Amino acid sequence: MDIRRMVLLAFFVAIASVLHVVEAWLPLPFPVPGIKLGLANVVSLLVISFYGWRAAVVVAVLRVMIGSLFGGTIFGPAFAMSMGGALVSTMVMGYTYQYHRPTISVVGISIIGAVFHNAAQIVVAALLVVSAGLLWYLPYLILFAVLSGTGTGFTVAYILAKMPHHFMAKSADIEKS
Amino acid sequence: MKILTKADVWLIIFLLLFAFVGIGLGLSRLVTSGSGTLSAQISVGGKIMQTVPLREGYRQEIEVKNGDHYNTIEINYGKIHIREADCPDQICVRSGWIGIATQQIVCLPNRVVINIVATDSDLDGIAR
Repeated sequence: MDIRRMVLLAFFVAIASVLHVVEAWLPLPFPVPGIKLGLANVVSLLVISFYGWRAAVVVAVLRVMIGSLFGGTIFGPAFAMSMGGALVSTMVMGYTYQYHRPTISVVGISIIGAVFHNAAQIVVAALLVVSAGLLWYLPYLILFAVLSGTGTGFTVAYILAKMPHHFMAKSADIEKS
Repeated sequence: MKILTKADVWLIIFLLLFAFVGIGLGLSRLVTSGSGTLSAQISVGGKIMQTVPLREGYRQEIEVKNGDHYNTIEINYGKIHIREADCPDQICVRSGWIGIATQQIVCLPNRVVINIVATDSDLDGIAR
């Protein structure tokens, strides 16, 4: 495995874990279960664009495990919800990135990721408390996901536009140049 | 720098439409919900632990335990709320008082759900 890639992936896992923990501290104005800003989606989308969806899924799984460990929620209901949301949203974003990208921009992909993240979370939550009534929160979550997904999407677009092209190159290529 | 594409805009419009229709449906459920006797079902992990009546003048305080965790539920003035809980997000406490059929309070960390159900008496059923 390329060392530069390995180090950068570890670096992304670290950033995503911190975002995962910090996000839980931020108070949100709406008391809706499963509502989240989805800041770590920024990292998932960046990793998808640099290293593909497989690497992004690995980063997402590690992020949820490490973030939950530090957040004190590991193996609780919040952990199951985060894991479900992270897996589904990363895979859906990876698919959309690969097959629909010029048509749908990174902002659109980010919105799709946020919507699927929240949808998967509320489905896991409904299973956990065995109550289909929780799905009535879905429209509120989608509304919020459109807002938060737009925010994270523009963040990703900004980072991609500003980041030097050689940043994600393989170490061998950099030595050559 | 132009970032948003046409497909993005349609995606956003479609999602917002879906969300608002869903919210509208949820609100219309509140309006059309039965006006019979109201009661609150308190369940933990999908099992109904207690059903309490919601009528004027009925007061009760219930502590629901799930392992080491607790939710203190208060019933008064025909309404119900979670007064105190040891969950980290406090979403259940912040949900406040509810008193209309189909409303719900959820405490995910403690797996507590409170549902308000309207049980129409038989007479009402015939009269309709």
